[in-house]
Amino acid sequence: MNFENIGGMKMEVKKIAVLGAGIMGHGIAQVCAQAGYQVNLRDTKDEFVETGISKIRKFLGGSVERQRMTQAEADAILGRIKGMTDLKEAVKDVDIVIEAIVEDINIKKGVYKELDQICRPDTIFASNTSAQSITEMAMATKRPDKFIGMHWFNPPQLMRGIEVITHDKTSKETLDIMVGLCKKLGKEPGICKDSPGFIVNRLIQIWYNEGLNMFDEGIAEPQDIDTALKVAYNFRMGPFELRDMVGLDVALASTGTQYRELMREQFRPPRCLIMKVKAGDLGRKTGRGFYEYKSER
Amino acid sequence: MKIRAINIIGEGELATKLKELVSKADFKVIASELTGDYARQAADVDLVLEVAPEDIAVKKRVFKSCDAKCGKETILATTTANPWVTQLAKATKRPEKVIGLNFTKNPFEEKYLVQIVRGLQTSDETIQAVKEFLGKVGVTAVKLEENPGFILDRVIASIVNEAAVMYSSKLATKGDIDSMMKVCVNWPMGPFEFADTIGVDKVVEILESMSQQLGPRYQPCFLLRKMVDAGWLGKKTGRGFYLYS
Repeated sequence: MNFENIGGMKMEVKKIAVLGAGIMGHGIAQVCAQAGYQVNLRDTKDEFVETGISKIRKFLGGSVERQRMTQAEADAILGRIKGMTDLKEAVKDVDIVIEAIVEDINIKKGVYKELDQICRPDTIFASNTSAQSITEMAMATKRPDKFIGMHWFNPPQLMRGIEVITHDKTSKETLDIMVGLCKKLGKEPGICKDSPGFIVNRLIQIWYNEGLNMFDEGIAEPQDIDTALKVAYNFRMGPFELRDMVGLDVALASTGTQYRELMREQFRPPRCLIMKVKAGDLGRKTGRGFYEYKSER
Repeated sequence: MKIRAINIIGEGELATKLKELVSKADFKVIASELTGDYARQAADVDLVLEVAPEDIAVKKRVFKSCDAKCGKETILATTTANPWVTQLAKATKRPEKVIGLNFTKNPFEEKYLVQIVRGLQTSDETIQAVKEFLGKVGVTAVKLEENPGFILDRVIASIVNEAAVMYSSKLATKGDIDSMMKVCVNWPMGPFEFADTIGVDKVVEILESMSQQLGPRYQPCFLLRKMVDAGWLGKKTGRGFYLYS
């Protein structure tokens, strides 16, 4: 990857801050450290930071057990990750901030406003949001050209794709640096303009909704729809199985958001999903969704 | 009602494949051509499997002739991908014994999925008999009510259409759209790879049929129509969303 821009300025990413040590944040920090970067992992409370780091330690321990890496390598990776709660310290001298905090646009905008003041002027801001507008967050800063989306998939250590989200003011240099970073992390970037659901969540929503709508319309049963897609085209799971796994309440919320934002009939939440949520049948986690999971409880 | 003897009527790749599949399962199989006296050959079978071209007039003729010559109990099945079961039933005097059996070939492996399509008048006995038959043949089958796009075409054409909207509005490249669906959520193919495999012309046909019956949200993206006009139909013409040599 060529990191040089027209002016000959060179930005080499060395140090990364990851904000949020939750499910996504700790995994992102681990992937960055595995690729050789110095990582500051920051969350608001010591216990959150500790939980995140202990999960990384556990993951790496598993890798050592399966002989995917040596103990020395695992130690070196952990050695590159510094946990902390002080925001100022966490972002001091970093080249990129990857934000993976709670999905609340107002909280995110508040954090970006603060970051804009305490970070080096050339620090790039990358948000791991899946649902919020990159444009709106970028405009909360005075550096929209250095603002970009970096949407990881769960679990970050294992999922190879990252959606890189640009908005109208993202500079070519910022995009190039981000694409280069993804590749150095061993990931496959896909570039998408800021829009609801980006690529993956928008298209998969259609796949889910068409499946669920057929059930609503009395055309076929969940099992027949799932089986058809798996056997004919090798989808690993069908839409009903996957909805049950993710949780129907989560599914309804994301479908609802896309329907409100894209304002197209294709995204309207299916009736069966609404009724299941009303009935408290949220999928695997409650033992019943579109299927029954009695033995697993 | 037990199915023992089958008459497969039609030519082409699918007809040949079906003969092979059914013969392996130890049924008595008669293969007839549309140009021959297929109805007479169908007189003593338990199941007629029509594999004629996707032309409703041709199919109606087949159903009408078979209805006149076959025994009262014989089931008449169409392999059409179109929602024509109830229409074909009307060409016979045995609407409860008319059913759809649509075979879809898995693009990665040598296996088929059968969509059992129930017309408005198809009886439960008929469904039960074909289910048993397909079980012995050893293919996976699913059941649905007759409806445009059945299960598979409806889902696949819809994702292709949405992806075409995203690509033509320049949200992302087609390569990035395909690769993200594969690496982020494990889809077996990206939407444009699906389109090129199935045929862009077929995708547009399915969408048009769905938009007529189910509403304007299925209207094909204009990019897809232009591709059909340009002859970019997918793998079969050497060019679709991608180039094939």
